[in-house]
Amino acid sequence: MNDDSWLTRLRRRNRAWLRRHSYSFFSSLGVLLKHKIGTLMTVLVLGIAMFLPLGLYMTLANLDGLNLRQDEWSAVTVFFKSGTTQEEVRRIADELDERLSPEAVVVISPADGMADFREASGFGESLDILEENPLPWVMQVSPRRGTTEQVEARVAELSDFLQPIDSIEVTQFDYKWLQRLGRMMELGQAAVSVLILLFGLAVVVVVANTIRLDVASHAEEIEILALVGAGNAFVRQPFLYSGLWYGLMGGTLAVLLLGLTMLYLARPLGLLLETYGTAFSLHGLGGFNTLWVLLGGAFLGWLGAWISVQRYLRRLKVGGRLGR
Amino acid sequence: MIKFDRVSKSYSSGSRALADVSFEIERGTMVFLTGHSGAGKSTLLRLVMMLERASRGQVIVNQRNLSNCPDRLAPLVRRSTGMIFQDHKLLKGKTVADNVALPLMIAGLRYPDIRKRVRAALDKVGLLDKESAWPQTLSGGEQQRVGIARAIVSMPPLLLADEPTGNLDPNLSRELFRLFEKISEQGATVLIASHDLDLIRQTRKRVLVLSNGRLADDIPASDGQ
Repeated sequence: MNDDSWLTRLRRRNRAWLRRHSYSFFSSLGVLLKHKIGTLMTVLVLGIAMFLPLGLYMTLANLDGLNLRQDEWSAVTVFFKSGTTQEEVRRIADELDERLSPEAVVVISPADGMADFREASGFGESLDILEENPLPWVMQVSPRRGTTEQVEARVAELSDFLQPIDSIEVTQFDYKWLQRLGRMMELGQAAVSVLILLFGLAVVVVVANTIRLDVASHAEEIEILALVGAGNAFVRQPFLYSGLWYGLMGGTLAVLLLGLTMLYLARPLGLLLETYGTAFSLHGLGGFNTLWVLLGGAFLGWLGAWISVQRYLRRLKVGGRLGR
Repeated sequence: MIKFDRVSKSYSSGSRALADVSFEIERGTMVFLTGHSGAGKSTLLRLVMMLERASRGQVIVNQRNLSNCPDRLAPLVRRSTGMIFQDHKLLKGKTVADNVALPLMIAGLRYPDIRKRVRAALDKVGLLDKESAWPQTLSGGEQQRVGIARAIVSMPPLLLADEPTGNLDPNLSRELFRLFEKISEQGATVLIASHDLDLIRQTRKRVLVLSNGRLADDIPASDGQ
């Protein structure tokens, strides 16, 4: 046997393989489109199953993207007692800067505080009726950035430094709130992982069951195919592609549902956050994540179909003797 | 082409379908297999198709010993064998042309080639005008001819037929046997299980007679083949 004939045979075999796959690829889609209602029901179930973990994931991703950055929320706000002088505040700020080298120390005078309050509160000229400015001197200290543990240690150092100072009325640690939020986000992310696992399993089970019924209704056809020389791969292909299409359609529906939900929520959520003075826009899934959802859906569908059809073929012994 | 060497087939229930059957069929010949119902004709064909495995002895088809052939090669064996079934085994959801095209689709042929070969096969069985019809709209005889077209479309070297004239009137049966003769003349080996003794006698071909699973007689051809 020479090289040419070997190559020609290989090429012919590859082309035959491609033709068989393209036939199964399109014929399986044709079958799904022929049974519109049944396909729609299955795709709806799959779409919703994929949408739920995806929705939670996007909620967390958007929360993460909110103005909750470490440098702002790890800040310690120090309110001085009334009557504390500018010199005293400056001296404390300089000493703190020298000893603990924080990321930033911002001193806000009562006048600056009042100006900010006038603008943010909307009271405007109504505040003119106040005979004197009741706001105290305020100092905002941002600890140096780092890991959660490092920031926690730096906030503790700050607390130790500020505690014995008599001229301080109140020290407010926003970091605790951030810490709790961080933990909640971690919990949410863990919940997303569990949901992805559970709903992924649900997708596999739904597709496996749909394909099982599909295979059972084609039992006679499978037997005839086996009789005229079809191997396991040929019999399996259309069902595997059906599973793949189901998963892909389910994934597409989940992405569409997510898009519509975000479109629906964007305006009321934006208006709500605007009242807190936070400019906000919902972030979509993005091209890369969308691709992952579609590929993941297609894979899960394929897997469900594979599990189902493999069990059936093993029972029927299509590739071997038909066992009768 | 086909060699049975002391082949026996028993089932787990204890029933014996074939007992110590030995014969040889040369390439390009047409042979009839006859006997009463339950004599073992279908079992013998199933052994050749690798739908069953012999309990004892050797079944050799096209120089391949099917008795120790791994199961994964069964589709390959079936692809090189055309089989015609008494109950036609046609797919109701596919047109006549699609049914006939099945072996070629499995082989992965190009669509234009499939179409050309399907039309040629349908032409041979006289059903070219029915290529778009659904099998259930055809008569029993027409359905049988679709089954034959499917069996010959890939031009297999071996053609098996299990009671192919079971549903046909005598005229159609004769026509069908003439078609088998033509196929055999073109180089294919044809093995037909039938109990239509009158027709078998008319063809004057070799006849293997099975009785209670044993080869009771081997009548040679009298047509010079």
